[in-house]
Amino acid sequence: MSGDSASAIQRSQVDLVDFIDWSGVECLNQSTSHSLPNALKQGYREDDGLNLESDADEQLLIYIPFTQVIKLHSLLIKGPEEEGPKTVKLYSNKENMGFGNVNDFPPSDTAVLSPDSLKGKPIVLKYVKFQNVRSLTIFIEDNHSGSDITKVQKIALFGTTVETTDMKGLKKIEDH
Amino acid sequence: MVLEATMICIDNSEWMRNGDYAPSRFQAQADAVNLICGAKTQSNPENTVGILTMAGKGVRVLVTPTSDLGKILACMHGLEIGGEMNLASGIQVAQLALKHRQNKKQQQRIIVFCGSPIKHEKKLIEMIGRKLKKNSVALDIINFGEQDDGKIEKLEALLAAVNNNDTSHIVHVPTGSSALSDVLINTPIFTGDGEGGSGFAAAAAAAAAGGLSGFDFGVDPNLDPELALALRVSMEEERARQEAAAKKATEEAAKQEKGEGQPSGTQDAMMTERANVATSEVDNKDDENALLQQALAMSMDDPDSGHETRDTDMSDAAADDPELALALQLSVQDGTKDSSSQSDLSKLLADQSFVSSILASLPGVDPNDPSVKNLLDSIQSQTEVRASNLSSQQKNEEKEPKEDEK
Repeated sequence: MSGDSASAIQRSQVDLVDFIDWSGVECLNQSTSHSLPNALKQGYREDDGLNLESDADEQLLIYIPFTQVIKLHSLLIKGPEEEGPKTVKLYSNKENMGFGNVNDFPPSDTAVLSPDSLKGKPIVLKYVKFQNVRSLTIFIEDNHSGSDITKVQKIALFGTTVETTDMKGLKKIEDH
Repeated sequence: MVLEATMICIDNSEWMRNGDYAPSRFQAQADAVNLICGAKTQSNPENTVGILTMAGKGVRVLVTPTSDLGKILACMHGLEIGGEMNLASGIQVAQLALKHRQNKKQQQRIIVFCGSPIKHEKKLIEMIGRKLKKNSVALDIINFGEQDDGKIEKLEALLAAVNNNDTSHIVHVPTGSSALSDVLINTPIFTGDGEGGSGFAAAAAAAAAGGLSGFDFGVDPNLDPELALALRVSMEEERARQEAAAKKATEEAAKQEKGEGQPSGTQDAMMTERANVATSEVDNKDDENALLQQALAMSMDDPDSGHETRDTDMSDAAADDPELALALQLSVQDGTKDSSSQSDLSKLLADQSFVSSILASLPGVDPNDPSVKNLLDSIQSQTEVRASNLSSQQKNEEKEPKEDEK
């Protein structure tokens, strides 16, 4: 996996926010006032003032199910330089993970974010590992400053659907 | 109605032998556990409850979270008291048990009974609390029994570490008068975070108030809630009508003394009045039977309207015991639907000797009282008038009760 620049992203990738099954979205260890929709939902995530923050300690466990099977191509995480996430592990198709068993399975992919990526550069993932994704679990293990609170301003996922590719939905992904 | 999986941690250490909570701390705890299990399963049928013991030889899970109330109650039998409570391990094992619950959609909750001193450090307790919060597990702490310095502090620290948006609570139960269960019923542990009391909690509270074995009307609200509700509603309606009857009767008395002879024509007034007439028969009547019949009578159209003005002094006696009064009216009213039997009744009333004998038996009435004599005279004259006006009054009656009942 490489922290490539945005030019590596193919133009056919779609922002997967429309395929998220919001009824099943969960986030462990989030602070109640700063919750997951602040980082994930259209509109909220564009606002840099609205963050997802962790509560008891710096780790966050986010579970995102999708309404249909998708292929995941890349991931975009935006956060403040200090409290933004550093190590991010992704697990495909694992339901009901907890902080206890998060180390029991090898992640489908791991991303170490540089302060550069935190400004909003998409990170290309191992596409072959994410060919048949029904649900995604994002485990944010630590942050840059080492403080007890991790802040995330935006999380965006890019990829394609397996069954149908909605040609109208294909958008150009701008370089950041 | 939150979908929840609960693990209850019971303290069965040596300190539970103490009798400062009747009959013993352990027994009080067991009662509270039974109540909680019932409340949880009632508030949502898909809720599951599990139980573990913290003392004894070690932390032991008696039953994993299940919605089978019988299984839960059965495992409470034959528990032995002994050893020391291990709070940290208890909570951790409870968390593990909840993690492996079958329905992952359930919210996780742990209820801890803490009746003996806590041997752990405050830091360890706080760490456990934070871990619970991180995994979104709510915690209810019931502090009773031994109070040593630091115990309350540690428990409050635990609550502060766990509490996320007021989903966790702590209850301190002092030794003394009321049972552990009674104190708990009014707490958020039972009433479920401000949803308002569950039906079970309310019924349990009523049962506890009235003596543990008694349910109102001999019907278990849990077994047959509709019947219990119907009985309760009809009893309340009766009571309301009786109060209205007593009120109307006193109003009638006031009117009569002013010399107004207007027929008020209310059913209530009539019943009160008739009740006086048949007071002597009171002792022979079965109260339950009478109440039921009286309820029936109320719903039927009452054809007798002529007696409304006659209830002056007698109303006092009736007001003393309105239930009996109504019961009497009812017994008198059986078969008074026909005009023929009505005239029988009126004849009966017209028979002055009969009336005066009855009046003599009434506690508050003196037959020689001039006002009573006036009354009797009016009765006689009215009876004759009434017989002829019966049919027209019948129609009035049908209208008036409807107005009353509005």
